[in-house]
Amino acid sequence: MFRMKKRFTVLSALALSFGILAGCGTANNNSAGSAAAGGSSSPAASNSASSSAPVEIQFYFTGSQNVKNLWDQLTPMFEEKNPDVKVKLVYIPSGTGAQPTYDRILAAKQAGKGSGGIDLYEDGLPVVTQGQKDDLWDTLSTSSVPNLAKVDAKTMQDVANLAVPYRSSAVVLAYNSEKVTTPPRTLDEVFDWIKKNPERFAYNDPSTGGSGSSFVTTTLYKDLPEEAIHNDDPAIMKDWDKGFATLKELGPYLYGKGIYPKKNQGTLDLLTSGEVDMIPAWSDMVLEQLDKGQLPATTKMQQITPGFNGGPTYLMVPKLSDKKEAVYKFLDFVLSPEAQTVMIKTMHGFPGIELTNMPQDIQDSFKGVSEGFRNFNVGELSKEINKRWQSDVAAQ
Amino acid sequence: MRKEVKMGIFGLCLVIPSFLLLSVIVIIPIILSFFESLRDESGGYGLSRYVYLFTDEGMRANIVFTLQVTIISCVIVLAVSYALAVYMRFSTGRLVDLIRKTYMIPIFIPGVIATYGLINLLGNHGWLSRWLLLFGGTLPRIIFDQKGIIIANLWFNIPFTTMLLSSALAAIPNAVIESAKDIGAGRLRIFFRIIMPLSYKTFLVAVTFVFMGVIGSFTAPFLVGPNAPQMLGVSMEQVFSVFQEREQAAAISFFTFLLCSVLGYFYIRSMVKEETARP
Repeated sequence: MFRMKKRFTVLSALALSFGILAGCGTANNNSAGSAAAGGSSSPAASNSASSSAPVEIQFYFTGSQNVKNLWDQLTPMFEEKNPDVKVKLVYIPSGTGAQPTYDRILAAKQAGKGSGGIDLYEDGLPVVTQGQKDDLWDTLSTSSVPNLAKVDAKTMQDVANLAVPYRSSAVVLAYNSEKVTTPPRTLDEVFDWIKKNPERFAYNDPSTGGSGSSFVTTTLYKDLPEEAIHNDDPAIMKDWDKGFATLKELGPYLYGKGIYPKKNQGTLDLLTSGEVDMIPAWSDMVLEQLDKGQLPATTKMQQITPGFNGGPTYLMVPKLSDKKEAVYKFLDFVLSPEAQTVMIKTMHGFPGIELTNMPQDIQDSFKGVSEGFRNFNVGELSKEINKRWQSDVAAQ
Repeated sequence: MRKEVKMGIFGLCLVIPSFLLLSVIVIIPIILSFFESLRDESGGYGLSRYVYLFTDEGMRANIVFTLQVTIISCVIVLAVSYALAVYMRFSTGRLVDLIRKTYMIPIFIPGVIATYGLINLLGNHGWLSRWLLLFGGTLPRIIFDQKGIIIANLWFNIPFTTMLLSSALAAIPNAVIESAKDIGAGRLRIFFRIIMPLSYKTFLVAVTFVFMGVIGSFTAPFLVGPNAPQMLGVSMEQVFSVFQEREQAAAISFFTFLLCSVLGYFYIRSMVKEETARP
């Protein structure tokens, strides 16, 4: 009975569509019969359907508001040139849900459900290496994304071609040049400055934003050998003792005798209102806010040596995504000098491709700016750092 | 008899949809998170997550801090709201009209925006401290402190609580009060013998609302509170999404649920008493 009904529906649907097509045929003065008209025009119809309904890729990304602004600007540029691809942006504010996104990709893989509807994902190095272990990311090559040739080969080697470092930024000291005439140049000088100027320095709670996290990590690894920053062996955790002791000791000299504002913006707000004179901050955020007049014009930046940890932000393609062709197109666009120029102008970060590929005026603007950051890769340990910071430093 | 059975079935049918909804969105998640909280690090089952709650110094401080904030907020909110409601019920004049027209405004302002406004007003370099500076005073630390969270809680809870209590007071007939006056009852006597007992039930509802609202609050404590100790809501978020210890977060949430259910017990008990007392 049910089958009969179904067959009847299919038949009637067919009849209806043939009827409509026949109508078209006569209107076009087609000499062929109605069936032939249906046969010839149905592939055309499906063709036009596929071009009018572009492939939609789901792009999950995380970061501060400036990252969202960047993608809101780049995506329409891309879609205009590639009408066959549509990019759906899914923004996850930093510090709230990046890990669940990763878990979702992993869970989808384990459940045999492809990539969980996520076709492109943006995050930092720890997530790239974590995904390398879990075998989640697609290996990229210049044959699928030609513009990858413009990226520094060494950076690509570091991540085994599993991710695209599309932009970089550094954590620097941002300071009020009216109050601070000779900014510190090493981490020891920073500690000295903090003690000599009580309550004039602040760093944000490391679990809520990268700039505070960078300050904490750099302090912990200050006296450790250089290789340690690429080591995710839990055995190293006992070597943090000295660094945590330093952070604890600094507590009473910090803003509000040990107040750590929430998020990267928290410390920038304090610098804006003049409550502190120096903070660690992302260079791109400082430059952007100087540009918009949100930070006082007297704000200047200083990188210390050896630098605070910073580094590229990566785009990863889940291996099981079924829309890779479209994603490759998008990646190729992101790495084009045109998109990179927009990125530098809105984010004030460092380009992901090598500078020689950029327009001359941009190359000039980066003259004398060294890389200015070290890449830390401590993997899962960053979680332990935050945990111990909460109990040792915040709750002292 | 037959009709009664029919009515009973009909009654059950009416209740079942809402009960199903309740069990899917409330009861089952509570049970699931309880089981999740029993999982210890090695994958076995045990109470280790709860032991941690009470033995870890930081976590214990968080619990004490949360209870402190909640109790102080409840007391102040209820005192202020009750006073406001009584004043609006029994006084007349322009001031009362003004209060009546404006006291609900905070309800319409989104929490994040109100919190940001409080930071601007009460912060170290906020408006208030700038005004105080003119008179040579300094402001104690309010933002990034317990005081900040409590002030934010007052802002969020007083309007709604006042509204609840006002409606209860409005239901007290003037005739009762006037007849009490006629036989010579004083103001205090009227208050304690008539007004208090008649609004007591709503008062209990208000306590429950404020208590549960404050104990589970997140936005204001996250933005205005100190780094440590934290309110349980903030701590839960940190344990869940930063440290990624789901079982521990489940334990905190279940513990918070227990705290709320203590109050819920008293509330339900008084309701049941009232029901059975009815003829």
